[in-house]
Amino acid sequence: MSDIVRGDPSTYPDWFSRKKSTTPLIVSRWVPAILVGIPVFVLLAIVIYPTVWMFYHSLRDTNIQGLFMGNHEYIGFQNYATVVGSERFQDSLVHLAQYLTFGACLQVIIGTALALTLYEFVKSNAARTVILIILVLPMMLPPSIVGVLWRFLLTPSNGAVNQALLSLGLIDAHIEWFNAGVSLWSIIIADCWNWVALPLLIVYSGRVSLPPAVYEAARVDGANQWKVMRRITLPMLKEVIAIAFILRFTDAFKFVDLVYVMTSGGPAQTSELPTYIAFQRGIREFAIGEAAAYAIIIFAISAVLITLFLKYMKRVMKAQGLA
Amino acid sequence: MAHVALKNVNKIYGSGTRAVHAVQDLNLDVESGEFVALLGPSGCGKTSTLRMIVGLESISSGDIFFDDRRVSDLEPQDRNVAMAFETYALYPNFTVWENLAFPLEVRGVSEVEQRQRANEIAELLHITPILDQYPPNLSGGQQQRVSLGRALIRDPSVFILDEVMSHLDAHLKFQMLFDLKRLHRDLKRTMVYVTHDQVEALALADRVAVMSNAVLQQVGDRNTLYNRPANVFVADFIGEPPTNFFTVEPAQNGDSIKMIVTNADLTFALTEQTAAAVKVHGGNRFTVGIRPQNLHLDDKGDLQAEVLINEYLGERSILSVANSQAKFRALVSPDVTAGPHSSVRFSYDPADVLVFDEKTEALIV
Ligand SMILES: Nc1ncnc2c1ncn2[C@@H]1O[C@H](COP(=O)(O)OP(=O)(O)OP(=O)(O)O)[C@@H](O)[C@H]1O
Ligand SMILES: [Mg+2]
Repeated sequence: MSDIVRGDPSTYPDWFSRKKSTTPLIVSRWVPAILVGIPVFVLLAIVIYPTVWMFYHSLRDTNIQGLFMGNHEYIGFQNYATVVGSERFQDSLVHLAQYLTFGACLQVIIGTALALTLYEFVKSNAARTVILIILVLPMMLPPSIVGVLWRFLLTPSNGAVNQALLSLGLIDAHIEWFNAGVSLWSIIIADCWNWVALPLLIVYSGRVSLPPAVYEAARVDGANQWKVMRRITLPMLKEVIAIAFILRFTDAFKFVDLVYVMTSGGPAQTSELPTYIAFQRGIREFAIGEAAAYAIIIFAISAVLITLFLKYMKRVMKAQGLA
Repeated sequence: MAHVALKNVNKIYGSGTRAVHAVQDLNLDVESGEFVALLGPSGCGKTSTLRMIVGLESISSGDIFFDDRRVSDLEPQDRNVAMAFETYALYPNFTVWENLAFPLEVRGVSEVEQRQRANEIAELLHITPILDQYPPNLSGGQQQRVSLGRALIRDPSVFILDEVMSHLDAHLKFQMLFDLKRLHRDLKRTMVYVTHDQVEALALADRVAVMSNAVLQQVGDRNTLYNRPANVFVADFIGEPPTNFFTVEPAQNGDSIKMIVTNADLTFALTEQTAAAVKVHGGNRFTVGIRPQNLHLDDKGDLQAEVLINEYLGERSILSVANSQAKFRALVSPDVTAGPHSSVRFSYDPADVLVFDEKTEALIV
């Protein structure tokens, strides 16, 4: 090869000019394909395939036998009609609304209140840590244990809760915690105890990261604690609280475990949530097609609600220049 | 409107080996309605001093009085001070106009009046077009003005302004200095203004308090700081270019004393008054300072030197010159053409010669 002249590309060696091409030499064209392929495959295997499978069976009269023998027939949207038309499903929607309002919402409200109280009134870091750990403990228990624990605590005749309320004089007869109309409240209480630490942790960490200088400015401006809380802290935590809410909200749609352990949806199906019915119909009664329709309907409802919610959030954040 | 008095104020952050003595035995009186600038290099304790006046930082020892009221233990809410923060500290979830109006909202001022006052302040600070924006979307200089506006919108006993113009361009800064000065003249409110820019401090303030290394060095008006700096630090810090310093030894000169520069062939004559003071003070080594603007080119002058650089700065030139080991600077007219290696002579007025103790660096008068 002849001498290389700087500034004259025609004298550059081959490897030098090749470097400019868009495919680097070292990376064969299979590498990107494999790198992209793995996540695509995983996604297909664990998300897309089951969803498609479920949608497929929601349109067929599949039961457990049919599933294994491979004989099930296309029946259009009949499963959906059955589900939507059933009183059991309609009731469960009411239960879900009750659970969302008093379970998820209340948990977020109580969690937020606890987090802010902890931050404002406990100034020592050691004390804060200890309190946080104690509050987070229930979250570490498996739901079956929580369910059993609260079944005991709420036992009408001699459960700890009734005893305590009686001795405090707040009630003068046992509350029948597992009667129709009350049992869902029992589940909500247990769930609240179980999960209140999640919004608490989220809001607490959000509060810790708010800029202290803003609070100094508010003090100099003469705002009292209440004003600061209402006009500055809560608005600045809006996004964080919304995230805590979304997490509890999505959990509500797949909430099965405590219902199963504590009441099994009873008495007389008065504490059933849609997901629990899907579980019952599919896993217990082997009506695979109908259970699939339940799942798809629940998915649709939650997707719509959460999309609306995120849209709203995005608008708020955009207005404030945060997104 | 209040008279602010700081008595032996100390601030020590942390403890043990990591303790930082940020403010040391500070005594400062700000008269009612006075405009005092706190001037000093970065990290000298200016912000710490302000934060103690406002009540955001506890006082390690000493006391602060507003008029005759001891405020050392009061919360900021109860001191009725307005502060513009060095870091702006704007409310990110409020629009600019809500930020401006918040101190009024807290005080229960009607929304109509809030609007009106916010508009006035916005006009003054040239931020009317951004009233509906949120702070995270603003430039540094815009945020700074909003923060200043949030302080100025109130009617407190003391205004505390911490480096409120550091992010403004020269043109806007000039205009706002003027506006602030006028505002102060109209409102007649006590103001403490922190800056590390001496031009701002000298332009705005009735008196300037110079701080260095946690210690208040001198408080005085422009003339005092210029002509009678309390020590070497003030002489060096105030004035551009800084004062020339020489190490000197005194020699009897008839009735008077002359100062002989140790590392060059230069001699400074003193006025009778200074000579007497030096005599009383005693000692055989001193530091002499003379400002570059007090050295005048003069063929018959006593001070001879060789030009090193002639820097042309538009309205004036700086001559950097040397006489053996001693290097110093003189401010001359831009017409002077003396180039490197040419020889020049300077004359001076003995009254402009400042003599400092070599060890304590304090001015001898
Ligand atoms: N919260 C704190 N904890 C510990 N040290 C601090 C704290 N705040 C300030 N200091 C120290 O105190 C000294 C003075 O700081 P201060 O902020 O008062 O300086 P400043 O004069 O305002 O400087 P600048 O012009 O850079 O704003 C510095 O050495 C700084 O490191
Ligand atoms: Mg500062």
